[in-house]
Amino acid sequence: MWALVWPRGGERIVPTVSGVILIALCFGLGTAAYNSSSNILFITLSLLLACLILSGVLSWLNLRGVAWRLEVKPPLRTGQVASAGLALRNGKKFLPTYGLWFEWVARPMADPMAGAKAESTVTGKGIDVRAILKKAEAEAVRGNVTLRERLEAQGEVQLDWSFAPARRGRLRVELAGVGSLFPFGFLRKYVGTELRADVIVWPAAVEYRRLAVNGARRIGGSEQRTRVGSGGDLLALRRYADGDSHRLIHWKASARTQQLLVRQFMAESSQGYAVWLRTDAELWPRAEQFEMLVSFAATLVEDLFRAGQLHSLALDGEPAVAVRHGRDLETWLDRLAVVEFKAATADGERGGGTAPTGGGGRNMLVFAPDGTHGAAAYIDGQRAAVT
Amino acid sequence: MKTDLGNYQTAASRRSHFRRPQLALDEMRQLKWLLGGMLILLSVWTVFYLDVDAWTLMGLTTLSVLAGLVWPAWPARLPRIFHTLAFPFIVMFFIGDLWLKGEMLPAMVRLDILLLLYRGISYRQRRDDLQVIVLGLFLIVVAGVLTVSLTFAVQILAFTGCALAFLLVITLTDSVEVKATAEAKKGLRGLITWNAPETGLPAWAERVDWRRLGRRLRAVADWRVLVLGGILFAGVVGVSALLFLAIPRFQMDNSLFLERFISKKARSGFNDTIKFGDVSEIQQDTSVALSVDVSDPKQVPAAPYWRMLVLDDYRDGGFRLSPRMSKEVFARERTGTALRGEARPKLGLQAQWTFYMESGVSRYLPLPGRFEQLRFREVQNFRPSAELGVVALRAEPATMTAYRVEGMDFAEALPDPIFAERWKSWSESAAGGRAEGLMQRRLELNAADRGALARVLAQIGVGKRPEEFSRAASAWLTSNHGYSLSPKIPGGAGDALVRWTASREAGHCELFSGAMVVLAREAGFAARVVIGFRGGSWNGYSNNFTVRNSDAHAWAEIWDAGRGAWLRADALAPAATAADAAAAGDGAIARRLDRSWTARFDSLRVFWYRRIVSFDARSQVETLQAVKAATETTGKRLRESLERAVAALKAWLAGPWDARRVAGLSGVIAGLVGAGWAMRNFRFWMRDFRWGRGGRKVDPVRREAGRLLARLREPLSDGARAAAGAAEEESVRLELERLRFGPQATWTQPEAVLRRARGALKTRRRERVSRS
Repeated sequence: MWALVWPRGGERIVPTVSGVILIALCFGLGTAAYNSSSNILFITLSLLLACLILSGVLSWLNLRGVAWRLEVKPPLRTGQVASAGLALRNGKKFLPTYGLWFEWVARPMADPMAGAKAESTVTGKGIDVRAILKKAEAEAVRGNVTLRERLEAQGEVQLDWSFAPARRGRLRVELAGVGSLFPFGFLRKYVGTELRADVIVWPAAVEYRRLAVNGARRIGGSEQRTRVGSGGDLLALRRYADGDSHRLIHWKASARTQQLLVRQFMAESSQGYAVWLRTDAELWPRAEQFEMLVSFAATLVEDLFRAGQLHSLALDGEPAVAVRHGRDLETWLDRLAVVEFKAATADGERGGGTAPTGGGGRNMLVFAPDGTHGAAAYIDGQRAAVT
Repeated sequence: MKTDLGNYQTAASRRSHFRRPQLALDEMRQLKWLLGGMLILLSVWTVFYLDVDAWTLMGLTTLSVLAGLVWPAWPARLPRIFHTLAFPFIVMFFIGDLWLKGEMLPAMVRLDILLLLYRGISYRQRRDDLQVIVLGLFLIVVAGVLTVSLTFAVQILAFTGCALAFLLVITLTDSVEVKATAEAKKGLRGLITWNAPETGLPAWAERVDWRRLGRRLRAVADWRVLVLGGILFAGVVGVSALLFLAIPRFQMDNSLFLERFISKKARSGFNDTIKFGDVSEIQQDTSVALSVDVSDPKQVPAAPYWRMLVLDDYRDGGFRLSPRMSKEVFARERTGTALRGEARPKLGLQAQWTFYMESGVSRYLPLPGRFEQLRFREVQNFRPSAELGVVALRAEPATMTAYRVEGMDFAEALPDPIFAERWKSWSESAAGGRAEGLMQRRLELNAADRGALARVLAQIGVGKRPEEFSRAASAWLTSNHGYSLSPKIPGGAGDALVRWTASREAGHCELFSGAMVVLAREAGFAARVVIGFRGGSWNGYSNNFTVRNSDAHAWAEIWDAGRGAWLRADALAPAATAADAAAAGDGAIARRLDRSWTARFDSLRVFWYRRIVSFDARSQVETLQAVKAATETTGKRLRESLERAVAALKAWLAGPWDARRVAGLSGVIAGLVGAGWAMRNFRFWMRDFRWGRGGRKVDPVRREAGRLLARLREPLSDGARAAAGAAEEESVRLELERLRFGPQATWTQPEAVLRRARGALKTRRRERVSRS
């Protein structure tokens, strides 16, 4: 009940047009009532005020017992439509809930690992602060989702908000607030929420051309990879699913475990590539071109993995990481999502100047600028793919 | 900032077990149209009790809005030019109305009705709906302020309920409509500007079936929500009553501001000129004219006379207030709330008489005669006349007028020292052969008429004292004339009143009083006619005196030079009040007690006047004091009860202990502990038990499916089964069994299955009837 008198933080109540009219009417009637001592006007004023109180009580009842849960399903990719889900539940016994809307905001986050210190705005000029805030607001994506139907008592509903992230990196998806005009539209009530989900947005997929490369060598005949494929070696057993070939059933294991199990084989790759990405600021002086590089690398790496031709990945001077599972690729894409320019060190040594260890003996794809905007992948100095 | 308003999708999955149907958007728009129409009708019907000439507009609006409700598609047939010209026409109408009639408020009321008429026959957008509410509220408040009628209370409550439902539907509709946000952003500017509505036929208006909508509403409604809504509305009324009592009042002594914008006229009241039959016409009206609260009912006289106006000038077959007297005897106009009367203050606590005079009665206040003090509820412009014992307001009040009188004098004689001086001077001049005109003595009749009067006086036998003359004349008149509200005046030459007096025809109070006056003047007495009310009834529910228009009366007053006072001479008094004469105070109340249904309704009106209309700063203080006293009394009683209980417990504990008492105490403690444990552990079971569901809630879909299954399993002859569609029944039965017994995840559209099952049962019934 105390919340009725003193709303919690984040709650706002703003009068709407009809609310402003009602308040103006109350003022007018009150003035007239005092000037004329007319009890008819006092009665009308009392009724209007009581309606305002009723509006607040009904609004409170409408929101009471309503719980929400945020669900954002990765992966999110720049420029592609993603979906954030909100599971709503009305915990009231018999009162339904009507007319809520949910305000969403998705805004890029600073990399917490980047070590940037929070700056005080006390010493900043107003215009600068405004500019910073304006820029931050411009990067945010906002949206509304409306509960159009009645949410029954004890009922649940799932509302989805679709949005397209504008840039790669860390993204905070927030349920900024829940609003309601219920019941009479006098007051626009906002309830602030602290529901948020931090997700990583992978670089955008870009189009590129693959070029024939002379001298790309096969790596010691066929190579078996520890991921599911159509190779000859057994990788694992799994439960039978509709559509599985009966020839894949492992009868012995099935008999032992009393459930149908099928065999899974390792993938077999005939050609593997090692990818080495350098992020030197000297190599990629233009920010747009660097973004193109990151998107190109992410797309190329994903395609190679799908084709079973990705062997290892390396970033700058770090040791190469073998890619065996999907999660290896996802980890790499997560890193690509947040990768930034690597500035030259003080002693002039450039990051990533030396080929990574662990990737030797493979076809190594390296990247270099292609013109003023594009990027190209090279194998042994030959262009293998270009945007 | 990027704003993505339309990029969403709803209800990807839904896990509510049973859902009542929901109104579709078009159905909500239909409901909105219906509620808007009802609001318009409720508002314009204020014309019924608002004294403004707007009957034609009200009738037109009622018919148009009703037509729009019955055939919602017809507003679409209005040509576009109609909407284009509507606003200029309405403005021109208002200007012309103001210019021709010169009254601001009636013109505004007619403008308001015209706007409501237009909104009632055009498809409204959100801002138009808000306009309807504001315009309607204006009409009702103006009517309430101007009439202070109890009807206002009924109407404002109905209007509030309807407007809240209307706003609720608007809010729900807007939350569904895609363009609602953009619409709302137009804001106040959209509300106060004129926008021609869309002229095309909206989809929702194409096919409206109100019965179907009613059925849908019934299906959608949840009785628990409806009950809660009713309770909340009652709460609104209660809270508004509390606010009404609690809002601080300051007496600013301002008059009603709206009155200056409207001119009033008496609907049925007493005016300065009364022709024979006017009072009798008022008597046909049984509505309440005056409600009187008496602080001490014992002071209620047996036959109260409420004088309003004195008429001295008889000419052209009627009495009137002569211009000279009007000028001479009325004091200069005053503005205020208090008036000190001529009656001498009496010792002891004086009874207070609070009068609530209905509008349309008269601008003359009903009073018994002399009084000590008169106090108006609000500032009034008035002219008192001590000589006549009347008080005249400047204008006919359009609202109920409340005033409180202390020290009332119900004596039959009204002392008049000023007239005594005049009478003395007139008598002296008459004796000296230079009689001045004295209106109360003037009798402009021809010789034949005076001869006829002389013959009547000869039959009466003129006494020297006014009382004697009054008694003799009254006896003669009542013995020669019966009482009738439809009198017949004999034809012939001369004065009509004299002809009637000389005849034996029945007559009404005006003829009796007129005859008394002309006979008295012919006999040499000064006399005059007084009009007002006589009698009334005691309302047994609200304990107040009620005077109706049917109590209107006229009587005569004859000057008694010896006493220097006017004596009441009512020829009809003995016959009408002989039985009452003996009774006064409680006896009078008992004889006049009214406990009819009309009295019950009147008691509401009196409550309205007492507690609402007359509520002021003093009433507020009294109410607060009463609340304080009640709180203190209740607290005191509670404290005393608690102290008694504690003392009893102490005495019990201090008593000698034995095994029986210990066992009893142990039993009580064990019982309490057991009850607490049971409440803690079995509350869920108790709740289910209370609902009568054997501790297990059954899903309503399962319950309904089980019921329909049982009915479908009833045996049917083969022929009937074939005719009824065995295949369909079988299919439905399987679906019902899934609903009845299967997991909820396997349900597909339970409502459709239940509908099909009901259809199958209906087919069965039809087949059974046709075979029988």
